[in-house]
Amino acid sequence: MNKKKKMTLATKRAIVGLLFLSPWIIGFLAFYVRSLIMSIQFSLNTVNIDTANGGYTLTFNGIKNFIYAFAEHGSFSQTLVLSLQDILIDVPLIVFFSLFMAMLMNKKFRGRTLVRAIFFLPVIMNSEAIISAIDVIRDLMMGGLSATSGAMSDAASSGVNMDYYIALFGELALPDSLLNYIVGAVGRINDIISASGVQIVIFIAALQSIPSSLYEVAKIEGATGYETFWKVTFPMVMPHIITNIVYTVVDSFVNSDIVTMAYETAFLQQNWGLSAAMSLITTVIVCLILGVVCGFIQKRTFYYN
Amino acid sequence: MASTAEYKKPKKVNYKKQKQLNRSKAGNGLLFFLMFICGIFMALPLVMIVNNALKPLDEIFQYPPKVFVKNPTSENFTDLFVLMNDSWVPFSRYILNTIIITASGTVGHVIVASFAAYPLAKHNFPGKKIIFGLVVLSMMFSYTVTQIPNYMIITWLGLNNTYLALILPAWQYGMGLYLMKQFMEQIPDSLLESSRLDGASEFKTFWTMVMPNVKPAWLTLAIFQFQQMWGQTGNQFLRSEELKPLQYSLQQITQGGTARAGAAAAVSFIIAAIPIIFFLICQSNVIETMTTSGMKD
Repeated sequence: MNKKKKMTLATKRAIVGLLFLSPWIIGFLAFYVRSLIMSIQFSLNTVNIDTANGGYTLTFNGIKNFIYAFAEHGSFSQTLVLSLQDILIDVPLIVFFSLFMAMLMNKKFRGRTLVRAIFFLPVIMNSEAIISAIDVIRDLMMGGLSATSGAMSDAASSGVNMDYYIALFGELALPDSLLNYIVGAVGRINDIISASGVQIVIFIAALQSIPSSLYEVAKIEGATGYETFWKVTFPMVMPHIITNIVYTVVDSFVNSDIVTMAYETAFLQQNWGLSAAMSLITTVIVCLILGVVCGFIQKRTFYYN
Repeated sequence: MASTAEYKKPKKVNYKKQKQLNRSKAGNGLLFFLMFICGIFMALPLVMIVNNALKPLDEIFQYPPKVFVKNPTSENFTDLFVLMNDSWVPFSRYILNTIIITASGTVGHVIVASFAAYPLAKHNFPGKKIIFGLVVLSMMFSYTVTQIPNYMIITWLGLNNTYLALILPAWQYGMGLYLMKQFMEQIPDSLLESSRLDGASEFKTFWTMVMPNVKPAWLTLAIFQFQQMWGQTGNQFLRSEELKPLQYSLQQITQGGTARAGAAAAVSFIIAAIPIIFFLICQSNVIETMTTSGMKD
């Protein structure tokens, strides 16, 4: 009797949970699952656009598209490796930079909201109309001296002589790979700052949902700022480090060369099947990496309960 | 009495010292300097946009370009309004379209994603992990690649050339669900349990316990989603001119080239200004929550 009652409560809760999920699931099935399935279908077929009747025809050819992408396509494997490498380099930098910035911006000082807005700007600027407006203006400004503008922008972009610094640090006998990583990071500093707007906002929200009583306790117990960070702040934002890793990976993946390549294969070369195969391959690889990384962190994550 | 006065004095000094124990002035200065440098990187485009919007035409074309405006005018904006008055569909129509799309896309997504995130974070039922795996998978599939299937699905559902073509898919973005789930997981179970014991229905628990506690999260989500929806041009789905959003018409203006450089500068100012204002409003609310929601376990 008792056992039966318990069961019904659990089922009841499950049903309520599913009810809460249902608006999302319905839309998700309609818009996303179906397009996933169609992409898989495309990747296993040769897709021909039927100009006479409208629509398209599919000819099944198994995994030929996948084999072609790896074995015959000129630059697919190379671009794939490079894109993944870029993602792997950028993600830790972006995540730690944004955690650092979020902690600074979570402090109380005058004009804090304004400073936050400034750091969120790159996300706002990332709109088609703004980009095209800036392009127009830049073209106009360069147009006046079109003959020399190329040379001038070259000179402007290499204002810092990287080679000199590489040589300088090379003397310090740092390991080459570390050195390359740091130099690469410095070279990307603009990209990293502008890619971390959303992550900073997520971390700010995370920092603000830490109960202030924890900090109070830490203070009463006499913890220093350093200890408070590692014993209170860091464990509490740990789940959101995963969120941010996922977001950063998705974000840099969507903007990576490999996706551009898949897009061009589809819309310029009109090879829809190959394009679908390419994006499937990269999706699976990125998901695997994400799974490993998140699994690794999740084990070490502390949940409040 | 004398002894208490003596006792008080060192305590006061100690307290002051303690306040600054964790960070020296030099450290503060260094941090400020770092933030200042990073801030410049980020603020530069905005400074450029604001200044360009105020520059008269001859200053926009100046070479080498100057960042700051010398003789600010509002003629770019008047140019823009003249252009807008000439447009095919009344300009207010574009604004209305954008408001409809942005508002319903943002509000709907926040609600649907929070609803869905609650059971994923706090309930147990079969298939939970699979659903969550699918969410992550759907985020990986970049929009550019699934354009064709997307278009076909929208057509099959008969949503082509309606607002819904932009609004409905936006409700199910994976990222929002993911974000909300991560935040809801941090709410103590005991809090929800106590609310259930007091006889609150599941919906009431959600609405009065969960949502206020994750206010920073859903305000953050609203910021992203607003930004996403605000940037929609609707090029793929909206055919009728009177359904197209503001971004589209502004994009048309900026693509007018040299003759419209002034108007383009004004346009970029308008496009950038509104999300920034929305961001400022949301962020100042996030700060308020911090003081009001004292979660005690």
